[in-house]
Amino acid sequence: MNIISVGVNHKTAPIEIRERVSLSEVQAKDFLTNLIDDSIAQEAMVLSTCNRTELYVVPGMPEVNGNYLKDYLISYRNVRNEVRPEHFFNRFGGNTARHLFEVASAIDSLILGEGQILGQVKDAYRVAVETQSAGILLTRLCHTAFSVAKKVKTKTRIMEGAVSVSYAAVELAQKIFSNLSMKKILLVGAGETGELAAKHMFQKNARNIVITNRTLSKAEALAEELGTNQVLPFETYKEHLHEFDIIITAVSTKDYALKEPELQKSMQQRRLKPVIILDLGLPRNVDPEIGKLKNMFLKDIDDLKHIIDKNLEMRRAELPKVQQIIDEELAGFGQWINTLKVRPTIVDLQSKFLEIKEKELERFRYKVSEEELRRMERLSDRILKKILHHPIKMLKAPVDTADSIPSKVNLVRNIFDLEEQNQLKS
Amino acid sequence: MDNTMLDNTLLLLLIQLIPLLYILSTGLYGADFFRGTSFAKTYKQPALIITIVTHVAFIGFLTAPEGYRLNYSSSMIMNMVALTLGVVYMFIEFSTKTDKTGFFVLSFATGAQVLASFILSTSPEGGRVFSGIGIGIHLFSAIFSLSAIAIAGLYSFLYILLFRQIKNNSFGFLFENLPSLEVLEELIKHAVAFGFLFLTITILAGVIGTTQSSKVINLFDPKLIALLIMWLLYGVILFIRRLFGWDTIHTAYLLIALFACITGLVVLMSIFSPTFHGMSF
Repeated sequence: MNIISVGVNHKTAPIEIRERVSLSEVQAKDFLTNLIDDSIAQEAMVLSTCNRTELYVVPGMPEVNGNYLKDYLISYRNVRNEVRPEHFFNRFGGNTARHLFEVASAIDSLILGEGQILGQVKDAYRVAVETQSAGILLTRLCHTAFSVAKKVKTKTRIMEGAVSVSYAAVELAQKIFSNLSMKKILLVGAGETGELAAKHMFQKNARNIVITNRTLSKAEALAEELGTNQVLPFETYKEHLHEFDIIITAVSTKDYALKEPELQKSMQQRRLKPVIILDLGLPRNVDPEIGKLKNMFLKDIDDLKHIIDKNLEMRRAELPKVQQIIDEELAGFGQWINTLKVRPTIVDLQSKFLEIKEKELERFRYKVSEEELRRMERLSDRILKKILHHPIKMLKAPVDTADSIPSKVNLVRNIFDLEEQNQLKS
Repeated sequence: MDNTMLDNTLLLLLIQLIPLLYILSTGLYGADFFRGTSFAKTYKQPALIITIVTHVAFIGFLTAPEGYRLNYSSSMIMNMVALTLGVVYMFIEFSTKTDKTGFFVLSFATGAQVLASFILSTSPEGGRVFSGIGIGIHLFSAIFSLSAIAIAGLYSFLYILLFRQIKNNSFGFLFENLPSLEVLEELIKHAVAFGFLFLTITILAGVIGTTQSSKVINLFDPKLIALLIMWLLYGVILFIRRLFGWDTIHTAYLLIALFACITGLVVLMSIFSPTFHGMSF
């Protein structure tokens, strides 16, 4: 399998290097066009995300190897002073396929099992298709990678569980309240952290989200973005604490934004109905004493990190299952590659027999009626099909090593006296 | 029911088979809960359905000679407790789509069934069969009360486990697999409400049955006293909930204690004093 991958990623280079070689979609299209036009590649694809820029190339010339491609990319990005070949990884043949399968199934990601990478691989393939740089090999490779990722997602738990603080907050809330759409949520602080948490809550069907912020316009903007359009003035939101089942705080304060007496009063008004407070602020926004109140669940960032750690541990435990799926798909992909090598012989074999059939039928063309000729043709087709079935099956049959393919091909070519094949690509 | 039961091969076979079916169902629910085995996930529900259907058939065969009327014996009570627990759990699973608590409820049902089969195979003498709709309702509602109390206790136990895990930030196995606190709380509330309803029916049917009968019951029978205390406490829990709100964690402790007391009492009384409220026949 003559396919090379080179690139920089979070395992081989720091972010200062990765950002130097990264390619936007427009740049990737231009880069791929150059590779094809300069006959450097028969097929090529660029995968460029915030954590990696990787090339997948079927070489167009014998001198094109990993080092050649590294150099080409460094030159293209004009970063010879900052980026060195040592920052790149380099894979060949089956290892390239394995690498792409690992990337697509998110086990090569910075955050194990993150959900975005498959979409990014699909985008990379789309760009390759649009620039007509994806041929038979890359197309098959990418589709197998998508299939691997799908199997990994459905058959393992590698993508399960929250691995970010804001998702962990939602996961925890769902373990206390079964249906977030029935719960009233207060978001104190419309900054980046609060916004992310509110959006995750929204994704889990929470619709009754009220936002309060020192700058009211910011709260209104977020409420509008979420489509809830519910805001409370920062000066008076504490009077409404008892109305909320979930309170998320993410503000910058020197003193605690929520204190124990305020929550004690609100709990009395709620007649002990449970409340969860997710303190995502740093420094903490909520008096830790509040956590001691009855039916009160107070969780800060450190608490939520326990959930993240547990989920990451669970994901790591799934790695052997993922590797098994990759191994199986890799074996199938290898077999398909082998069938590519026997394809010319199969085509030659079929052509040879068709030629014989047509020559023989031609001898009878004017000796029999049209109806009889059609019958003879059908009969010949059936006989040919049966004769060719076994040799073709034998050629396509899985082999232990790619080395045994030439002998199999030569055997068939000799038996059926097929013309010499120009080359048998290895 | 008499000793001829032991001559019936089918009944003898079912006595041995039913506890095995309960053990199998509980094992499958356990394997799914603790190990996530796909085989267990696929076959646990069919196994439970087969267990319940076989158990109903067994009760039918067992009571057929007495016109399908239940008798008052330790084995029959345990049998019915196991069956009602299984049926109630299956209802919960179908209605709430929550299949992660089966192991805990069915473990208790299995315990009751193993005990029932053991008693039945070692001492096949049946208890007295009662006639009359009042006493029939009394027996049935008492069995359903026991099941409701058991379910309230078991779900309270799960609630406390999950509550403690969340409070202590130990987001482990139970955190991952149990339903949410709110779902468990709803299950407890329903169990308490049904428990109170069946306890009330038990008491009313018992009073009506006694007044219509010439027999004298022992008013100081521990089961009778326990029944009244249980009814009172369940009523208080419901009353407090309506008036002052619901402090689930403390209620859960109380429900577990009541469940443990009533289980212990039923088991002890069934073994050492297997009479119907001290009534002599």
